[in-house]
Amino acid sequence: MSPEELAQRAVAVVPGDALITATRERWAVLRFAHSRRTQLTSVDDLTLEIAALRRGHVGGASTNGARTEDLELCMARAARAAEVAADASGRGSFAGFPERAAPRPHQGHDPATAALDTARGDQALEAAFESAAAAGVEAGGIWTAGEVQRAIASPDGSLVSDSVTDAYMKVVAIGPGERSGYASAAAVSAAAIDGGALTQRAAQKATGDTDTLVLEPGEYTAVLEPHAVSELLCVLANAAFNGLVHGEGQGALSGRLGERVVSPAISLSDSPRFPGTLPRAFDAEGVAKAPLPLIQDGVAHRVVHDTRSAALAGAGTTGHALVAGGTVDGPRPTNLVLLGGGETDEASLCAGVERGIYVTRLWYTNILRPQESAFTAVTRDGTFLIEDGRVTSPVADMRITDTALGILARTRALGARPTLCADGEYYGRRFASGTVCPPLLAEGVRFTGTAGA
Amino acid sequence: MRDLLLDLIDGAAGRFPYVDARHVRRQTEELTVRNGEPAALGSHEDEGIGIRIRSGGAWAFAAARGSDRGAGEEALARAIALAEGGARAPHTPLTEEPGSRGEYSSHAQIDPFGVSLDEKLALLIPAEAALREQRGVTVGRAGTMARSEEKQFVSSEGASCRQLLTECGGGIAAIAVGRDGAQIRSYPGSHSGSVAQAGWEHVLGLELAANAPRVAAEAVALLGAPACPAGPTTLVLAGEQLGMQLHESVGHAVELDRVLGGEASYAGTSWVRAGGLGSLRYGSEQMNVTADATLVGGLGSFRWDDEGVPAQSVPIVRNGLLSGFLSSRESAAEIGLARSGGCMRAEGFARQPIVRMTNIGLDPGDAGTLEELIGATDRGVYIDTNRSWSIDSRRLHFQFTGEAAWEIVDGRLGRMLRDPVYSGVTPELWAGLDAVCSAPAWRLVSVTDCGKGEPGQLAHVSHGAAPARFRNVQLGLS
Repeated sequence: MSPEELAQRAVAVVPGDALITATRERWAVLRFAHSRRTQLTSVDDLTLEIAALRRGHVGGASTNGARTEDLELCMARAARAAEVAADASGRGSFAGFPERAAPRPHQGHDPATAALDTARGDQALEAAFESAAAAGVEAGGIWTAGEVQRAIASPDGSLVSDSVTDAYMKVVAIGPGERSGYASAAAVSAAAIDGGALTQRAAQKATGDTDTLVLEPGEYTAVLEPHAVSELLCVLANAAFNGLVHGEGQGALSGRLGERVVSPAISLSDSPRFPGTLPRAFDAEGVAKAPLPLIQDGVAHRVVHDTRSAALAGAGTTGHALVAGGTVDGPRPTNLVLLGGGETDEASLCAGVERGIYVTRLWYTNILRPQESAFTAVTRDGTFLIEDGRVTSPVADMRITDTALGILARTRALGARPTLCADGEYYGRRFASGTVCPPLLAEGVRFTGTAGA
Repeated sequence: MRDLLLDLIDGAAGRFPYVDARHVRRQTEELTVRNGEPAALGSHEDEGIGIRIRSGGAWAFAAARGSDRGAGEEALARAIALAEGGARAPHTPLTEEPGSRGEYSSHAQIDPFGVSLDEKLALLIPAEAALREQRGVTVGRAGTMARSEEKQFVSSEGASCRQLLTECGGGIAAIAVGRDGAQIRSYPGSHSGSVAQAGWEHVLGLELAANAPRVAAEAVALLGAPACPAGPTTLVLAGEQLGMQLHESVGHAVELDRVLGGEASYAGTSWVRAGGLGSLRYGSEQMNVTADATLVGGLGSFRWDDEGVPAQSVPIVRNGLLSGFLSSRESAAEIGLARSGGCMRAEGFARQPIVRMTNIGLDPGDAGTLEELIGATDRGVYIDTNRSWSIDSRRLHFQFTGEAAWEIVDGRLGRMLRDPVYSGVTPELWAGLDAVCSAPAWRLVSVTDCGKGEPGQLAHVSHGAAPARFRNVQLGLS
């Protein structure tokens, strides 16, 4: 059964105002460690979510059953929740589900990837294992591909639907002495994933004769690869661009829209159709996705809203609902794009650095104080010393405790080519998203401790 | 259902050395009241069948929604295709385990799904309102959750078990926003409050409304509180913060799949080596840690794990020495252990089991009550609620932030301090453990967002501990 069919069947049993979302997800993950396959997973699921609106309150329910009685029970639960909320607290503040306009087409679906041919994944793994053996490392990671089809319908007869595919591969190379290196790639099409090339890149970071140094904590000039930059942007997605916390004065941009908050070199947007991103047609309330400038030339412009946060702010939704009716944690951008700068690549960013630290990626990032965009994270899988313009020795992993806005304010240069960075974690239902960003060079990054020695 | 699952494994058992199948039906209900308005009222139900096949040294797993034969056969076909695809990894053995059989239901005095939404909101709305009665509170939140999971499991080695686990919990939080930042206080903890394998009686026992005025007052007071000073100090940890310390620096570090490199690409590895069993000094003589899947009320409790292995109480650290791991049939066999530790758990029907924590607890000591422990401490800092957590991929270097701290001066709690940060190295911190409170002070705390695995899985676990004292801990940032 297609999501459109399920959504339309559900509409037939729904009395009153409601938004009905049907999502079909089909995907496979091939996981490997020590250069051998370890855990292989294939999932096929179809979920119905109903958001019922009663007297300004939204009640939600979901099921992955598709019998008529499943749909009726799901609707009854959603409606009952909304009614109880209204009885208990009076009229609620949710004004109503937004109008759903026809979404614009995008390039986010690849039929070959949707076929979920795991033989392609097997080939990627074999290429990874061959490259690992040639480099003298062991490879761990995942290859995954999936298709997600979604339809949103309402009793007024409106129906919008979208299909996206995504593919992702990550390789962590473990070299002699347990040095590790990382490389990953994400795309709409599985054909874009080259397991052998990724492993070579990861292996380069995990091998070599140079001893690993332990650096003292302090402020260093740092060159951050795109995956590390992506972590900074994800901090801002939660701490700065969330329209709910922004409106409550908790956000890193609260009271600062219109101000220069970062380097003039920084232009950041949420752009659901930017080349290289993982496009999507609409948000969880069926609002068509559109580009939204967030920071331009260093000046903060906008935050993102769903219907609920927009009402509190006296604004309109920007199409960033994660759940119909909104979540208690607020909306979040899902297609952040940081425009590139004038430097060719990471090597040219390093060229002007007398002494600094090269960071491949960040791990276990956690926000400390949202209003300051303060966070802590640990470098991982490829941290190096930069001396006299080039990468020299590996460095034991280090802890960064800084502010995301501060690092972007101290950014002096960016690479020219933004890259799609995804994490491939896929908790819960598959919702592939990523950040498109280039590498960058920032001064005075606060490394507050050693984390790997 | 059992017959269907047995038919499914029969369809593959002759071709592969091991097959198991499960049917999982899960129901979840979440209610949150935010700033006077019920803001998230959700009820979620899913069910499906998962088939797992041992193929060489790999596990092939496929899942399909529903409970009918067609869904199961379709999942089986995909699992077989995965198992037969690609190059076979070399075969590795599994520990020998008895084929467990039986039925089990966890204890829930009051079925949380039998309590009406009206009654639940009647508890939450006044609790949340009491938070905002405090001048200066910007956001008040009160929430409850309930979950039931019914799982039928069969294996090609004769296991056939069915268990029903019920969880319930709740909590409150107040956020105060000032000119220099926001401060939050949560009760009973910041990770979904307090959730237990129990019924609605657990939420009633939390007394959310009664605690709301204190929680709100502390959130506002934190705005004007002095910053926690930096430097080495004596640290008394309790409640959720001690639970998180156990979780991150002990629980994850002794997962045997990590130790053996199987999680290197995501969750990471471990500073602990398999060869350290019985000889690695993890901490001081006062450090005794147990992984107990049999604890009543623990979120990491069950009768059988997701390989059908009976729940166990496994000593992890004894008198400071490493004495055990969290293990599966595969990982235990790899290091020559005779039996699995019974720690394989899967989230829902659509994820394959992986090595997870059960209930990792610090065994009680003899330091009496919290008041007595503080009374025996000249100078130091006390932290009980977690705000942020971060640790490296080998579970060695960590940094935690509490919601609030209290200074300890001459054996008494003094001023409240904001933004307490401490950091350290796992065996150094635990080497500084010199006192643990006695059994009556031992409590379970809950963590409902423990992420691991690819694809990602969120596990619910509990940690038991009595307040404990650590010497020479670094407060503040370098």
